[in-house]
Amino acid sequence: MRVLDPTNETRTAGVTLAPRLASFAGLTVAIITNAKEGTKGYFTHLDRMLREEMGVADVAWREKSNYSAPMDAHIVQELTNWHAVFTGVGD
Amino acid sequence: MQLSLEPSLTSKIHEVDDFAAAQEFFHSRGWTDGLPVVPPTEAAVAACLEWAGMPPDQLLGIEPVRTQPIRAEKLAINAVMAGCLPMHFPVVATAWQAMMKDEFLLHGVTSSTGGCAVLVIVNGPVRLEIGASGRFNALGNSDRATSVIGRAIRLALINLMDLRPGEVDRTTLGHPGKFSYCLAEDEEDTTWEPLHIQRGMPPGTSGVTVFAAMGPRQIMNEWTTDPREILETFAAEMRANQLHYSIYGGNYVIVVPKQLRDHIQGAGWTKRDIAEFVFERARVQRGEWANVGKGSVVRDRATKVHSALQSPDDLLVVAAGGPAGGFGAVIPPWMGSKTRAVTAAIGVCVDCEPPKR
Repeated sequence: MRVLDPTNETRTAGVTLAPRLASFAGLTVAIITNAKEGTKGYFTHLDRMLREEMGVADVAWREKSNYSAPMDAHIVQELTNWHAVFTGVGD
Repeated sequence: MQLSLEPSLTSKIHEVDDFAAAQEFFHSRGWTDGLPVVPPTEAAVAACLEWAGMPPDQLLGIEPVRTQPIRAEKLAINAVMAGCLPMHFPVVATAWQAMMKDEFLLHGVTSSTGGCAVLVIVNGPVRLEIGASGRFNALGNSDRATSVIGRAIRLALINLMDLRPGEVDRTTLGHPGKFSYCLAEDEEDTTWEPLHIQRGMPPGTSGVTVFAAMGPRQIMNEWTTDPREILETFAAEMRANQLHYSIYGGNYVIVVPKQLRDHIQGAGWTKRDIAEFVFERARVQRGEWANVGKGSVVRDRATKVHSALQSPDDLLVVAAGGPAGGFGAVIPPWMGSKTRAVTAAIGVCVDCEPPKR
């Protein structure tokens, strides 16, 4: 019996990761939160660690307007202003 | 093992010994929902495409977040696996086209911990052609057509979008509608306008409405003939959902069976009248969260009013169910207005030319 493969054999291009940073000292980074309740404490703690323990110069905060959608276009446009971005899924 | 490629179909071909071997082959690769599948042979898949008049490489749409193209051949393979006959495939294809509209938020609703399923509501003449019943057991295993169409949606999500539990599908609980969730409206036994016409599809067409939906919440009221009292029970269930699940407004479906419909229609109420009544009644104050264990997020907004519907247009009223019983259902949205129900006409190219004014 001959059967056909049901999976999507054509894959999207994916993404290329930026070069890894050697240090956060003196850099400007951003936290992009999905705005869920549970993210506030987590990212607030991360913000403190970045400033106090890793010497980050500034932490910008941005919030997605829809936690299940890609980040808003205006946030994408800002990406080049930051050396690194932290984002993630939080409930 | 890869053998050869058919001239028209380009999917990889696998050779298995027999039906039983096909089951183990597909299950072992994570290509099923756990139930047996119909082996997708080249002839069965080609028949689906021929019925729909689609070449194998026809692009049905591109999922907006992961930019994953969905082509007719791959969708037909999954439809065959679900048990679809060729005549079911145009409904599956149209539903998928609707699901790929930005406002449906396909990636979000299918990967979320919230665990909704795609509810497909079928309207128009196609229901009668394929034997889709909106009567006995309308939200269950009412008929072959709705069972296999709903299952085809899920199998395609699994295989074309990698929505396997624990992979892209991060759902905490889910609900049984994630096996199959398809409903036909009983247009023959109601005076109400069919849902797809109400939502802007041309008269005479068939249509599907897709909705990122939680499981149905059943209500019962057999002790009144007053439309207001009947609809108050539906609104109460929506208020309960607002408090127990999500307070935010968006689309809701209510399924109204014949016994309750007869009272509401008999009093001259239209679907619009129902929507306007429910819009006013299905709302809660944020402070009520404190009564259900969510007091910590009331904060200083206890008197803020949250409506289950952002407008009367948000309510999708569907006539369906067996002939007896005062049972209805409220089907809530995955999460407020972050996803929107989408309606599309079957076999109508709505993008081919500008709308006639």
